[in-house]
Amino acid sequence: MDKSDDPYFIDFPGRIRAIQLEMAKQGIDAYLGSRLRTLSWTLDAFAPWRSFVVIPAEGLPTAFTFVIDAARLADDSWLDEDHVMGFAPMGGQDQIELIADFIKELLPGGKGRLGIESGMSNYLPEGNLTHYEYERYARALPGCELVNAHTIIDRLATIKDAGTINRFREASRMVDIGHQAVLDALQDGGWKGKTETEIAGLAAYAMRKAGSEWEWSFTGGNEIASGYRTGLVGGACTPASRRELREGEPLMVDLHAMFKLGLGDHAHNYLIAPVTERQRWHADNFIDIVKRTLQTYRAGITPSGLAEQMIGFADERGFADYMVPGFEHGIGLMGDEWRIGLNDGPFPYWTNPDHVYCAGELIICAMQYACPDEGIGFRYENPIVLHEDHCEPLSAFPLRVDEIH
Amino acid sequence: MGTELRYLSPEWRDEAEKRLRTELSAERMNFVTSSMSNVYLNCPDGGSRYLVFRFENGELAELLLGQGEPPTAEFKITGQYETFARITRAELSSHRALMTGKLKLKGNMVKALKLAAIADRMNKVLSKIPASY
Repeated sequence: MDKSDDPYFIDFPGRIRAIQLEMAKQGIDAYLGSRLRTLSWTLDAFAPWRSFVVIPAEGLPTAFTFVIDAARLADDSWLDEDHVMGFAPMGGQDQIELIADFIKELLPGGKGRLGIESGMSNYLPEGNLTHYEYERYARALPGCELVNAHTIIDRLATIKDAGTINRFREASRMVDIGHQAVLDALQDGGWKGKTETEIAGLAAYAMRKAGSEWEWSFTGGNEIASGYRTGLVGGACTPASRRELREGEPLMVDLHAMFKLGLGDHAHNYLIAPVTERQRWHADNFIDIVKRTLQTYRAGITPSGLAEQMIGFADERGFADYMVPGFEHGIGLMGDEWRIGLNDGPFPYWTNPDHVYCAGELIICAMQYACPDEGIGFRYENPIVLHEDHCEPLSAFPLRVDEIH
Repeated sequence: MGTELRYLSPEWRDEAEKRLRTELSAERMNFVTSSMSNVYLNCPDGGSRYLVFRFENGELAELLLGQGEPPTAEFKITGQYETFARITRAELSSHRALMTGKLKLKGNMVKALKLAAIADRMNKVLSKIPASY
């Protein structure tokens, strides 16, 4: 299927050629990718097991994964089965020997510069080369100089193409279906007796029925928090618990769907009646700052500049104490869920606060409002596409804090 | 056949070819088209040998015995002569030999898995050739 037929088309061979062009500029003869984001971005397939992609100076890449999943990965990927290899604990077939032999055959005399992916991340499944792997590859490839080269992928992946954005758009549509299913299930007394895990499950069912592949987030799938759990200090990670919903409490529903490695991620918030004036005040603060943030996001601004403006607004309104001072996190095809842009900030492998957003970037607009003393909090997350003069939120579920009875 | 043939001798190769052709039908070989070279290191004479099997649509097209670097094949299995001998005498399974690193396989493991049962059938035929080692 070509670009004109498929709204989700991504030019993966073109991506590989772009990587190879950068490799040539940097004198890199082969690239050994190990990060989940690199695997998704180059293979168009989910790689749940430890996997690698070897990109030669010219021609097609070859993926390597645990043999039990290699045929499935080849079936999902744009690569044919000759370019997806399985490794196993067998002579000549363990990942180090198999891949090292493969790289040696690519390089004349087994010598050259090999790009690797090294670094650190708050995101557990990032997939940087481990110290052990580095030492084993270095020993198995005595003719190679191993150089850290992940910036090649990071730079190329920053601006999203139309196919990627459409995948996120479709995943966001699925998330909205999940939110509607939750709302339908909660209203008119439906909330009574329900637990956080049950809400996570019924949303998952609705999204899967709509075609979502999974609730991809490593933070426990769909994140649901009720009562005091919505307002944990600085908290923006709430795997669903077995806690039962209670009247007079807040409820936060943060859903995740996946479509062709594109990720939906949207949080919606509720107050279970009876609602106090103070709770409504918190809720209105939250909605107002989300609206203001969405009006502000565009190309040309920076994370630190936006944060200053929004905290200033919250301060004027008297709720700055309740704002977690971060308004975004990075996002890309499955496995890219952490830093925004390049590793060029004052703290290695954290988002550069002075990163200047460009049109075509896709991030998660993310905000957490938390008042632990009152046991109340709200979360907003939504993938947004940055344009020159505005941003485009991909989830369209109405922005409000719903009161349910 | 009463006399023993020297393992990996030209006579043993001829007998192997005859048996593979007569005892393994194309259907039994799943009409496979593939090739595999076995490289035997440290043979009794101190050198190394290769045995290359080439199948086309399940028919044995070629069985080459030689010394030195084998011709290119889809799969290459390398090991000590004694390891292969133990497999042929049914003292060691080829799976165990691979899983303990006694044999080294080069080639696409996913495709190799599809051919594992076929390789077992071939080994079974070869193991019945009376041989001395």
